[in-house]
Amino acid sequence: MFTYLFKRAFTLLFVLLGLAVLIFVIARIVPGDPARIALGPLATAEQVTKLQNEMGLNDPYPVQLWTYLSGLVQGDLGKSLLTSRPVMDDIMGALPATFELVLFTVVLQILISIPLGVIAAIYRNTWIDSVLRVISLLGVVTPGFVLAIILQLIAAHYLGFFPVTGRIDPGIGFSAEITGLLTIDGLIAGRFDVVIDALRHLFLPAIALAAAGIGQVMRITRTAMIEVSSRDFVEASRAYGIPERVVTFRYMLRVASVAPLTILGLEFASLIGNAFIVEFVFSWPGIASYGVRTILQKDLNAVIGVVLVSGVFFVVANLAIDLLLGILDPRHRIRAGRGS
Amino acid sequence: MSRLLDIRDLCIGFDAYGQHRRVLHNVDLHVNEGERVSLIGQSGSGKTVTMRTIIGTLPMPPGKVEQGSIHYNGQSLLDLNKQDRNRLKGTGISIVLQDPMLSFNPVLTIGRQMDDVIRYGDMRLGISRARTERRAHMIETLKKVQLTDGNRVLDSYPMMLSGGMRQRVLIGMALLNKPRLLIADEPGTALDVTTQDEILALLNRLVAEEGLSLLLITHNLGVVREMADRVYVMERGHIVETGTRDEIFDAPKHAYTRQLMAAVPPLYGAGVKTTRHEGTHPIINVNAVTKTFETRSGWLNRVTGNFRAVSNVSLTVQQGDIFGIAGESGSGKTTLAKIIMGLTKPSLGAVQIDGRLLDGFAGTQDFRKLIQIVYQNPGSSLNPRRTVGDQLAVPLKFTGFDKTATKRRISELLDLVELPQNYAAMYPHELSGGQKQRVAIARALSVNPKILVLDEPTSALDVLVQSTVIDLLHDLRREFDLTYVFISHDLSLMRNFCNRVAVMLRGEVVETGPVAEIFDTPQHPYTRALLSAIPVISPEEDARKPKVSKEERAAVLATSTELEDT
Repeated sequence: MFTYLFKRAFTLLFVLLGLAVLIFVIARIVPGDPARIALGPLATAEQVTKLQNEMGLNDPYPVQLWTYLSGLVQGDLGKSLLTSRPVMDDIMGALPATFELVLFTVVLQILISIPLGVIAAIYRNTWIDSVLRVISLLGVVTPGFVLAIILQLIAAHYLGFFPVTGRIDPGIGFSAEITGLLTIDGLIAGRFDVVIDALRHLFLPAIALAAAGIGQVMRITRTAMIEVSSRDFVEASRAYGIPERVVTFRYMLRVASVAPLTILGLEFASLIGNAFIVEFVFSWPGIASYGVRTILQKDLNAVIGVVLVSGVFFVVANLAIDLLLGILDPRHRIRAGRGS
Repeated sequence: MSRLLDIRDLCIGFDAYGQHRRVLHNVDLHVNEGERVSLIGQSGSGKTVTMRTIIGTLPMPPGKVEQGSIHYNGQSLLDLNKQDRNRLKGTGISIVLQDPMLSFNPVLTIGRQMDDVIRYGDMRLGISRARTERRAHMIETLKKVQLTDGNRVLDSYPMMLSGGMRQRVLIGMALLNKPRLLIADEPGTALDVTTQDEILALLNRLVAEEGLSLLLITHNLGVVREMADRVYVMERGHIVETGTRDEIFDAPKHAYTRQLMAAVPPLYGAGVKTTRHEGTHPIINVNAVTKTFETRSGWLNRVTGNFRAVSNVSLTVQQGDIFGIAGESGSGKTTLAKIIMGLTKPSLGAVQIDGRLLDGFAGTQDFRKLIQIVYQNPGSSLNPRRTVGDQLAVPLKFTGFDKTATKRRISELLDLVELPQNYAAMYPHELSGGQKQRVAIARALSVNPKILVLDEPTSALDVLVQSTVIDLLHDLRREFDLTYVFISHDLSLMRNFCNRVAVMLRGEVVETGPVAEIFDTPQHPYTRALLSAIPVISPEEDARKPKVSKEERAAVLATSTELEDT
């Protein structure tokens, strides 16, 4: 298991390095001069050149790349033109909100899609299956922002239980300082009012974000369960008198969960993309709104930082899924350990 | 003697796609206390439905018991409530399924799976045992199936064990809750013949020692002869004949039973057909061929060893030969066939086909017109989404046939393999296994090759179908002067079909020669071990099988009780 972990972590480093270089290249290719944008149309040519020199934009590309990479290793992403603060600080301020949202979304996805997929497989070709099929299709075809607005209207405006915007009721007066996640810090501080309020705020954006993944993973779970149900070992377990509940969850689901979990990992990329829109609709103070603003301003350092952080998110999530698969399915682990 | 299992007048039907189909017709079958009973029949005869109804895993609906009764130990199984019925699973009646690879959950350790079986069995009986007690019971049960290193087996995942070991563990699983009736579905038939032999001996011993009753479901008559006191013959859902083993084997009454017996290729005796052919010019020349595969391991995937799949093999196949390559799984016979087909390059040595070296020749159009292959499983070697006609057209397209010529050729090919013309428009799933294999043969013949490599072409088929396919292959060979390379683990079939054989063991050819010579006077202990392990259907054949001593056997074969080092 240790070798497996080590190998995966090692590959991860290379993926991140590749990602960093790729972003660097893309940022140079995109048209528009960041110094000009930062200074505005009224600035003189000398002023622009001066800022370009300060930002190192006139250095040869290899030098720029070197400066950028060596900064990266030390956790220095440069300064943001937009806020005039170090990009790292900006990101670290906004990241926990997004992290909390995405984490909660993934938990919702797992808790909803896999059980529903199992139910659809057990009751396949009955009305239950048909209803679930419609739900999953609706989830897949409804764009996140449309769902976000509909949810805001119905659940928040008419029902009034869920707040429409923000992470927490400002009247509560609590700031998350340990992990930055309101739910976790609330728990640590023993402030259950904070936890409940944070969850209320989280619920709608998370549902809007989770819907597409839920629909997809549900269908895949259903298919995988049906495929596994015809394997000999399922019949054998039943014939040895192992109860149906245990056969379904321990014997079938464990084998069937490989495909849905892999998809969940890949789904993560679109999750971060969709979070940009959903955060905007719900005024979520996360990295997305920061990202959108910096892209519009062609704030190169900040854009690179945001993309890099999204990349790390994605790669780490997939590593986590890989580890989970390694625990669930010994064949992954043994093969990787043997290296064949 | 009391009847432990008593099935009377059982009728079972299925509702599918709005249609009703009866699959079991008035089945009467019983198993006495301590008796070994066999139920034989071909695929689709209703054996498996019978088994699943007895253990209670037949899905209902779509299945439905229309009439009749099943009694186990005096209780009517079909009238029991669900709880009482479940109580018998594993504890009263248990099963050993056919495929030891597929019968385990691949992601749980053996120990975990055995523990579940014990725990839930105990739970239903209202007892509870400590974890250590259960583990001790598992180890003791594994000893019964001759697996002495219980702790290591329990901590292993199924993939880490050999086929034979898995089959042993599977039998152990069935015995954990001390059932009185064991139902075995084709035990050992997915394994090599020498391993199967061990498994059958083990089952026989366990039945005697543990006082079990056995219901054995199989299509292999040789296995039945070694394993059964009494036999039922099933054909299309009907029991057509029943009697003691000797009655059935010595004097089969029903025409179907006689047909089955006649279709089994005999290993020795008067019924053996010997294919005689003395070729004059060699068509395949394999010269000192070795194929090594690298094994890799560690963090950086370094090459850490070599595995010799084929080791210094030299063979000559004459024009017109039916050349058999015999061997068990892992013997290298398939790798050798791939080398001959030009699909794998040998590491050392050279192959000549029809006088030309394979280098630079393999993969050319001329080469493809010379040699073709028929695979083992026509179910997976045919494309399920293309009609028979389309599949036959593919090789023609690549060898320069135009539209009208292709059409004519397809119709010729269907004639050749004795299929009606309208089959060209059918999809593979509309065909039976034998018909599919005919299509596969037609496809291989479409470009008029001189050589056909037959990779276990009949092992997925029932014996009756097998004999018709073999007859067809004989006819085709005569008509087109074909040469066959026949790869198989079925030595009885090889004896009757081939004129020359080579026996392979761990990548080496240990013995080669004319078929009668190899079978009548086998020199190598491995050949003798193979031959002596084949279950045959008459005492005469049994008497003529070669004898092999324990020491000789141990020298050439690993037993399935040892853990491999993986």
